[in-house]
Amino acid sequence: MMWARRFSLRLQALFLRNRSAKRLDDEMQFHLDQQIAENVAAGMTPKEARYVAIRAFGNTTYLKEETRDTWGWTWLEQLASDVRYGARMLRKSPSFTTVAILTLALGIGANTTVFGVVNTLMLRPLAVERPNELAFLENAHYGPSQSFPNYMDLRDRNHTFAGLAGYRISPMELETDKGAVRIWGYLATGNYFDVLGVKPSLGRFFHQEDDVHPGASPYAVLSYGAWQARFGGDPAIVGKTIRINRLPYTVFGVAPPDFHGTELLYWPEVWVPMMMEPQIEAGNPWLDNRNTWNTYVIGRLKPNVSTRQTEADLNAIAAQLTREYPSENEGLQFWLAKPGLVGDFVGGPARAFALGVLLLAVLVLLAACANLASLLTARATDRQRELAVRLAIGAGRGRLVRQILTETLALSLAGGFAGYVLASFLTQALSRWRMPMDFPFQFKAVVDWRVFLFALFASIATAVIFGFGPAWRASKADPNLVLRGAVTGWGRSGLSFRDALVVVQIALCFVLVSACLLSLRGLQLALKTNLGFEPRNLSVVAMDLALAGYSEERGRAFQQRALQTVQQLPGVESAAYSNSLPLSIDQSHTDVFPADKPDLRPSDRISAVYYQASPGFFATMGIKLLGGREFNWHDDAKSPPVAIVNLALVKRLFHNENAVGKSFPAYSGHPVEVVGVVEDGKYDSLTESQQPAVFWPILQSYNSTTTLEVKSSLPAMQMVGEVHRAIAQLDPELPLYGAGSLEQMLGYAFFPSRTAALALSAFGLLAIILAATGIHGLVAYAVSRRTHEIGIRMALGAAPVQVLRLTISKTAALLLLGSFFGLILVLAAGQVIASIVYQAHPHDPLVMAGVCVTIALLGLVASWVPARRATRVDPLVALRYE
Amino acid sequence: MAKPNDLVQGTLDLLILKTISLEPKHGWAIAKRIQQISGEVLQVQQGSLYPALHRLEQKAWIKAKWKDTETGRQAKFYSLTAAGRAQLEKEAANWNRLSAAISLVVQTT
Repeated sequence: MMWARRFSLRLQALFLRNRSAKRLDDEMQFHLDQQIAENVAAGMTPKEARYVAIRAFGNTTYLKEETRDTWGWTWLEQLASDVRYGARMLRKSPSFTTVAILTLALGIGANTTVFGVVNTLMLRPLAVERPNELAFLENAHYGPSQSFPNYMDLRDRNHTFAGLAGYRISPMELETDKGAVRIWGYLATGNYFDVLGVKPSLGRFFHQEDDVHPGASPYAVLSYGAWQARFGGDPAIVGKTIRINRLPYTVFGVAPPDFHGTELLYWPEVWVPMMMEPQIEAGNPWLDNRNTWNTYVIGRLKPNVSTRQTEADLNAIAAQLTREYPSENEGLQFWLAKPGLVGDFVGGPARAFALGVLLLAVLVLLAACANLASLLTARATDRQRELAVRLAIGAGRGRLVRQILTETLALSLAGGFAGYVLASFLTQALSRWRMPMDFPFQFKAVVDWRVFLFALFASIATAVIFGFGPAWRASKADPNLVLRGAVTGWGRSGLSFRDALVVVQIALCFVLVSACLLSLRGLQLALKTNLGFEPRNLSVVAMDLALAGYSEERGRAFQQRALQTVQQLPGVESAAYSNSLPLSIDQSHTDVFPADKPDLRPSDRISAVYYQASPGFFATMGIKLLGGREFNWHDDAKSPPVAIVNLALVKRLFHNENAVGKSFPAYSGHPVEVVGVVEDGKYDSLTESQQPAVFWPILQSYNSTTTLEVKSSLPAMQMVGEVHRAIAQLDPELPLYGAGSLEQMLGYAFFPSRTAALALSAFGLLAIILAATGIHGLVAYAVSRRTHEIGIRMALGAAPVQVLRLTISKTAALLLLGSFFGLILVLAAGQVIASIVYQAHPHDPLVMAGVCVTIALLGLVASWVPARRATRVDPLVALRYE
Repeated sequence: MAKPNDLVQGTLDLLILKTISLEPKHGWAIAKRIQQISGEVLQVQQGSLYPALHRLEQKAWIKAKWKDTETGRQAKFYSLTAAGRAQLEKEAANWNRLSAAISLVVQTT
């Protein structure tokens, strides 16, 4: 009861403040009236009675205030009045308010956007039960991929996992009402969904017992998206038969809408039990092959088991596996990585990139804050009179600081909100964007409560950290001096607080512009990189014959017929086919051995990227043949095995000797004769150092994955259309994918450079805008403050040039100083920048020169208008002023 | 004669609680009553009663009601709550103990 009464009294005091105040007046008035009446009764004159009564009562104003204090809402009342007063002051100077809010909106918006990306890549867990218990397995040999027999041994022998599941990203051919389409899915072990603890939104998932014998589990689980898009959300889909790779599969169930498998950037459309691998990857069975490392492994740790214990457990098994299968597992070692980004393989660079960009984004925010602090300082100087008056009539210094901080906080919250809205739009745009490639690369930057908290925290921190200095300085104004007309806080000699802020801003701008130009230079270098082939005028079309049910024999025949048909199309200069292309997402590696190391010890092996190519491949691709010959139609199964190698592999295999005609042991140990040597190129990524590469004749080593390369001067889309029609005549059912110009397909390879250039250019631009407003503000303010002085100088005969020098010289000094600090920062932060920008180095003289020119131009442009205004000061007007 | 400032806050609270323990009173009557009973020794500065009254009301030891006085004008009448009565007993006991102890010290030479 007590608390209820207290609470209701408090609420009354809060919400009925005016009524309560009125009541208090009444109460006290009643008291006085009673006393006056008594005094009059005692014989005083009314006037005297009144006087005595008031004296006995005391200072009413003070007592009322003290009484109101007991109501307990003083701080809130003060806050409300601060906010009201602050809002009035901000409304009174709309240009200041607009500039401040915009500055913050840009700074906080940029940061929140980047944080949204970081949130998606690093903070948001997978949409599964207790995601923090999950761990992804990596090994010393092949990083994220394990061999399937090794996976089964790990699953059965470990003591630290509650469950260990394997999965594999696989393309499949799905038959729909609209014909066969190529889709991407997962092969997953039977325990996959149970280990993750996901609940189906329809039907059921498959379990361990559904995934025991190879080829005996024709079941499928659809993703929610695939169910909607491919089957129109058919409510009776469970139990129906769908056809994948031309074989029937029973639909068990549909996954929940927010579950997209165990990789953040890859959204599969279907899950099929792992035992169907031989059917899904027709012609390439590897379930019992310890030499094929194709399986990703994710596990749920038992409660209270540490990472270290788990790794020790895994490595004990690794030691056993090495003893049991020395040739496959020598040197095997495991460690755990965070799941979601193919372990550290993609996760490492992606996280480094995201953190690097976040760091630069924080620099943008700092620049924005420096701008804000500078604006606030200028404003405080302008408000010195007002503040001095308030101090003079008894306002406390703390109260004054609080008032100014409240104002700053209101500003920064408004700016933060605008920034948050901006970031929401930007992340949505980012999420909608699709890379032009045949892979369901999904990036969904999610703006959730973490992002909101980030924006809120950034706003409040900004206000407190950068508002406090100016507020404190303002509150120290000496009323005596200010009210007499002397202006303090704006020294003409030496560095003022605002000058220092501009220096900071220029230094930050220098860093960001450096990063921006570096990334552009990196992109330029990437575009100029010698790819080792000539993508111009090349169109490509891909198909997978095994998925379409072709046997090897029929597949070979089809490939050759398709090539002949395409070669006869009008406008085709040359054509060829291969299993894959350099710099596409599908790269395979094989082991070969130096010619003088025929005993095939694992320590001698050379990992080389390999391609299976048809005759005419090198001519069509524009890969320069340095020696020997191309493959021809006689390099088939009936003739001895041959290969074409690149220069980097020649170095490793034969130690630079002439290689043509020599033999080396291939992966299986059989000798292969080198018939040709080609130039080096880029295979996995643009930034790799020279990798060994080997080309096998596709006639000697069949691959059902077929990419047709067509060289033609016709526009790529027209050519692709022709090829489509030609293939459709051979097999109307066969789905084609990855069709387009090769230059367009290379988007994947240029993705990192493009992303870096885009992100950093945005930051650079923001930094330039911020620095320009900062410098402009400083110079304009200085000129307006010194109008009087300039007027006197001009009256005494100063030439405009001298006046110009007066205003420009200081700006120039600040620019130099800021650039100097910026240069030091860039050199010190070279590592961070290098993690974002490939290829270009911070010491690139072209870049440094570019930065200096940019900063100089920036200073000139930003101070030009106010400086010109200074030279146009009319001494008469200036001196009459004030 | 005690000046208002010399009245310790707790003492003023005790006086107020005691004064309204028999019947509800408005502020002026409370001030009057304290002066009368103490034989004009305790001269409370009348206004300082109000912050104290409001503080006690916030603590829910006393409650207030606007009622008509004999003159027909409305006034705010304060009365004890159950918690206030308990508080009065506690503070009165405290006071008795303290004053007895002090008189002992003062009388013993």
